[in-house]
Amino acid sequence: MGSAKLDGQVQSDWRWLIAAYLFLAGVGGGAYLAGVVADLAGGAEWMLVSKIGVFLSVPCVLIGTFFLLADLGTPTHAWRVWMKPGTSWIARGTIIIVIFMILAAVHTAFWIWPFAGPLEVNESARHFLGILGALFAFLTVIYTGLLLGYSQPIALWRTALLPVLFFVSAISTGLMGIMIIAQSMGIAVAQLDLMENIDAVILVFEVFVLAVYVYNAYRTLESRPSAQRILSGPVASYFWLGVVVCGLAIPLILELMGRHGAILTIGALLGLFGGLCLRFTILVGGIYTPMRAAGFEFARIHRPKDPIPAMGKLPPS
Amino acid sequence: MALTNASKVKEDVWIPTCCGQCYCMCGIKVRRQDGVVTEVEGNPDAPTGRGKICVKGLASPHLLYDPYRVNYPLKRTNPEKGIGVDPKFVRISWEEAMDLIVAKMKACQEKDSRGLYFQATTTQASEIRYGVTGFMRAFGTPNYWVSGGGLHCGNGAHFMNGIMHVAWSIIPDFAHCRLPLNFGCSKGHGAGHVAVQNATQAADARAWGSRTITFDPMQSAQASKAHEWVPIRVGTDGAMALGLVNVLLNDLGVWDAEYLKYKTNGPYLVRPSDGRYMRDKETKKPLVWDLVDKRPKVHNDPSVTRVQYEDQAHDVALLGEYEVDGVQCRPGFELLKEHVKKYTPEYVEGITFVPASTIRRIGKQIAENAEIGATVTIETDEGPKKIPKRPIAAHFFRGSQGHVNSGWTCLSIDMINHMVGAADTWGGAMGLGAAVGAGYKPTGKPYQIPYPDNDGLLMCRAWVYDHVPYPLRKPKPPTRLDLHDMFPTSIYNAFTIMNPKWFEMLDVFKIPYRPDIMINFGSNSVMTMGNAEIVTENFLKKFKFIFSFQLYITEFEEAVADIVLPDTCFLERYTPAVSFPSTFSHPTGEDDWGWTIRQPVIEPMYERRDFNVVMMDISKRLGILHKYYKALNDVTVVRYGGAMSDEYKLCEDGSEEHTWEEVVDRMLKDRFGPEHGLEHVRKKGVFTWPKRKEDVYWKWFNPSRVPIYFEYFIDAGEQITEICRQFDPEKKYIGLDWSVFKPLADWYPCPTHTEKNPEFDLHAFYWRAVTQTNSMTQQNPYLDEMSQEDTIVFGIQMHSRTAAGKGIKEGDLVWVENPEGKKIKGWVTLSEGIEPSHLAFAAILGHWGEYMPIAKGKGAFFNDLVMMDEPHTDPLTLNQDICCRVKIYKA
Amino acid sequence: MARYGMVIDLNRCYGCYACAMACKVANRTPPGVFWARVLRGEMGVFPNSVRQALPVLCNQCEEPDCMKVCPTGATYKTDDGIVRVDKDKCIGCAYCVIACPYGARYKVDDWKSYFPEGLPLSPYEEHTKQYWEQKSGLGVSTKCDFCIDRRAEGKEPACVQACSAKARVFGDLDDPESEISYLIKTKRGFVLRPEVGTEPKVYYLPPR
Repeated sequence: MGSAKLDGQVQSDWRWLIAAYLFLAGVGGGAYLAGVVADLAGGAEWMLVSKIGVFLSVPCVLIGTFFLLADLGTPTHAWRVWMKPGTSWIARGTIIIVIFMILAAVHTAFWIWPFAGPLEVNESARHFLGILGALFAFLTVIYTGLLLGYSQPIALWRTALLPVLFFVSAISTGLMGIMIIAQSMGIAVAQLDLMENIDAVILVFEVFVLAVYVYNAYRTLESRPSAQRILSGPVASYFWLGVVVCGLAIPLILELMGRHGAILTIGALLGLFGGLCLRFTILVGGIYTPMRAAGFEFARIHRPKDPIPAMGKLPPS
Repeated sequence: MALTNASKVKEDVWIPTCCGQCYCMCGIKVRRQDGVVTEVEGNPDAPTGRGKICVKGLASPHLLYDPYRVNYPLKRTNPEKGIGVDPKFVRISWEEAMDLIVAKMKACQEKDSRGLYFQATTTQASEIRYGVTGFMRAFGTPNYWVSGGGLHCGNGAHFMNGIMHVAWSIIPDFAHCRLPLNFGCSKGHGAGHVAVQNATQAADARAWGSRTITFDPMQSAQASKAHEWVPIRVGTDGAMALGLVNVLLNDLGVWDAEYLKYKTNGPYLVRPSDGRYMRDKETKKPLVWDLVDKRPKVHNDPSVTRVQYEDQAHDVALLGEYEVDGVQCRPGFELLKEHVKKYTPEYVEGITFVPASTIRRIGKQIAENAEIGATVTIETDEGPKKIPKRPIAAHFFRGSQGHVNSGWTCLSIDMINHMVGAADTWGGAMGLGAAVGAGYKPTGKPYQIPYPDNDGLLMCRAWVYDHVPYPLRKPKPPTRLDLHDMFPTSIYNAFTIMNPKWFEMLDVFKIPYRPDIMINFGSNSVMTMGNAEIVTENFLKKFKFIFSFQLYITEFEEAVADIVLPDTCFLERYTPAVSFPSTFSHPTGEDDWGWTIRQPVIEPMYERRDFNVVMMDISKRLGILHKYYKALNDVTVVRYGGAMSDEYKLCEDGSEEHTWEEVVDRMLKDRFGPEHGLEHVRKKGVFTWPKRKEDVYWKWFNPSRVPIYFEYFIDAGEQITEICRQFDPEKKYIGLDWSVFKPLADWYPCPTHTEKNPEFDLHAFYWRAVTQTNSMTQQNPYLDEMSQEDTIVFGIQMHSRTAAGKGIKEGDLVWVENPEGKKIKGWVTLSEGIEPSHLAFAAILGHWGEYMPIAKGKGAFFNDLVMMDEPHTDPLTLNQDICCRVKIYKA
Repeated sequence: MARYGMVIDLNRCYGCYACAMACKVANRTPPGVFWARVLRGEMGVFPNSVRQALPVLCNQCEEPDCMKVCPTGATYKTDDGIVRVDKDKCIGCAYCVIACPYGARYKVDDWKSYFPEGLPLSPYEEHTKQYWEQKSGLGVSTKCDFCIDRRAEGKEPACVQACSAKARVFGDLDDPESEISYLIKTKRGFVLRPEVGTEPKVYYLPPR
């Protein structure tokens, strides 16, 4: 049994379930955004890539929502989130993801399946819907960063860099999702190469954002314990192995090598795993800032949740 | 669920009773809802607590219902005993248990009843001083001890406080004390006697601007609330105090002459040849020198006596040399003044690590704040009276006195008070629990007004246990298993019974019997005394049969108990008197007197039975019930201030039996009249009556004096030396240095201070965490959880810089080892709030017992480092030394 | 209408944990839940280091962050200014737990015994479980309500009654004559984290 005196209390209410939600919402939103960009900028040649992106968004966000529901203490009351719309980032976020899912579902239904056709024909309607959907995809991706950033006591989250980081990671993981499927559907090698190159650039940018984010967290006194927890504390393995190695380094190297096939798939899967780890690292890396009063710093001592005492022996009866 | 609720009787009551989580005995109210105890609150009607109750009392529902409680009598089936041995307990019936016990006790009675040994816990002090001592008298054994608390805190502090204040302990008159000097004790800060009330008083004092100075090796609660924390080396408080006395007397020339002349033996003339008083030939009374009549007079000659402050008397000499019967003699005060000269601030700095300049400054602060000469007028039964106002108080408890220099340390600290006249008067150091009282008017009981002996010195009327602090018993050839009869200044001791050659020693000292049966009442002495292996192997395993009244199967029962009896906890029993004698657990100050009782909140569950009831049952089966009743009647005289009247005496001729409830009822009716029996008192849980101001500030209303020159120690030392020489001329078995028996206080070092091996570079000591009592409460999951809120409770507290020097980090697992090779394991918590050469351990932690899983494995077991041998024993009081030199290294 | 608040005098407080325990017992909170809690702080370098305890509880803010982040309106303020959770409206998203600047909220998904799993519950734990489930609820956010039930019986909040240092004073902030208003005014009362703008109603008096 060790002491956690210097650390203060660790955020332990939001863990894997919320991380999975944040991650899937990111992948879904990112893929949609990528798909719409491909449609707008790439034209007919990029139709398949665009369709994959749009197609991926609904299931990802929907499954994510199930994780979110599963994390609720009282999922049966979940409908109440509609009772006070706009009051909180959770209420706002719920509206955002619902609108996004509706738009993406319409986009999918009338372009890809089961009513494929109408939007194929009417390009301007499709572009309009795409742009509108992209707006909500963007909000879906970044509102989670704002949601976390609203927490006063967790300094690690209180930064404008967090939505940026989430956005960059969403685009990159969305692209990776698209690439895995696109490759299996046999798209052109040149297109694959281009996507790899674009993703590599995004990954480099993500490394930069992440480095600034962590450096900032370390430099700021309030969030330093969090940064230490992530860099060298109990969360470090998720960060270094999950985020840095699996999520950034390996995909980047593989993408720069430009190999296709299984290697591309492995790289992209690791990248996706890294995206999940990133969300988890940031969630459980959160430490409640000590209270300052009368010149003292008062930290809540961290208690592991639900320590179960050993059974020992009961007196004979 | 709703259905079962509706079908139940809706019961929701608050029952006033008395807490028993420690020895403080606070009045509480306990909520019972549908037969389940659900809440605890302070009882505002009880002067002890006044509606406040601490974290431990609040947590007691879990004590009552803990699934690990012992609920049925158990028998050991594994004949092997020892630490780590599986006792293989099996459940037996009460009948079988009683048959076994009574058969063993009858055999013991026939052989030699003194083979019976009673061991008990301080937590249940009210049972100890009544039922336990009563039974011992009835059965005919002198052998007992109160484990843990007794040796760690008892011998030095209670003895000296008894002599100087007729009280168990001392405490500042918080209501008026401007400068409390706290020598490492937690009184007023969560622990010690009357903890809750003292905390209220101390907080009030902080609020009105009282400024405390705390001497403590660590930033304890008391140090952190003090105006100034003076980090001090452990075990050197005595030297510090003598340094302050020296600054007062010799640097500043400040003392309260009035007080010293008329309320101490300071003016008693002492002859240089042997340090004895000059005495009147006829009356044998000590003499003082009347400066007006220029001749010696007996100490209580009316012309030189001032009982009340406004009385007139001749001036008497404190200084100078006078000729009496052809002998040149000097007053004791002058000898003291000369004697303390060697405690210069520089010399004291070398011992205590406290800078000389700090010692000088604090000496000056004492002198300034004592306001010598100032008076206040209080309202007494005889009208307004002037008394001295002395708003400073030096006080101490286990921390200062748990050392080889225990007795003199306590006295030296208190000497600060007596030099400036700040004893038992307005603002000064008070006997805890307002030691003096004339009783409830209609009955005159409990009566506890002290009185002087022939030498004019203070004698108590009511005392907590059988030994009284003054006058000293004459050392006698021993009859007790710890040879106690030879050592009049101690309550009990460890160095004899823990000696590997204990039985040889008993041969040498001609004790004709050996330990046979031990009755244990609630103590876990395997953990609370010192090194567990020594306690078990050298002492406990010497008993042929041990039965134990216990709440849990503790490490003690696992190791050595043959029978475990399921005791009731304090919520399931009656106790007739808990707040009396008042010096143990009654608040000091101007609030009312309150006689608190304990009554069951719930019927005993399962087959638990109240200790008191079982002891009556055992007495009956042994055919000594009438003797037991008589002993209880007798015990009442000293304990509870006055004999039982014939009407309410327990039946002594065997013609009548009483239930325990009746015993309680009779005690109450005897003390407070027939209309104030149990039926009356149980409604509020307490009987109160007004306290007179002259009982609170009694010093200048009582004709007694206190010693500052301990003439009678010379005799005691000579007598002890002689009696030891008779039995053990070569000092093969007892080699203690009896030269410490002398009239004036000194500081002498513990092994901690003289350790030569540089490897052992740290001082280790333990302190009391507010969330725990002794070793029992660690099993309470509420308290366990709360204890984890402060890392210094379960961690080993170490200074950050010291740790850095050794490459030790926060949370590291370490070994701590003493020079005798005993070592303990724990994890380190770093702090700036500790003197850098010290390690601090909280409470009695580190349980390993299988039957207390909540407590198991938490914290380090400090007591394992405590050696119970001669080098760690105070020769003056036989108090146990509980500090040690250690080395620390990573585990 | 009264506007209830509390003053905690850090000079009086000596860190005995009675408030935290009294709260636990009065509200039957399960393991790990401290509606009232005592934090520890240390300042300075030896020998000038000082320790101080900081008792904390819900600040019953005028502008509560927990209420702002609540998506369902389960968190509300009573007429006398006490922030409460309607357990029937709460969805247990724990956003308020994370957003509260004072760490005053606890979400309990499964009621846990203080004793090892698998043992039958003691009558006391049966009682605490039932009490918790009925009053506070599972899977929802829970918090201090200034002992609303005790106050209905005319008692002070449990932490106030238990405090042996009399460090806690409960009262009406709107009443300028109340002890609490007097203390805040005359003894340099301050609040925790004033910069977040939640306007707490729990005030502290300086430790020395």
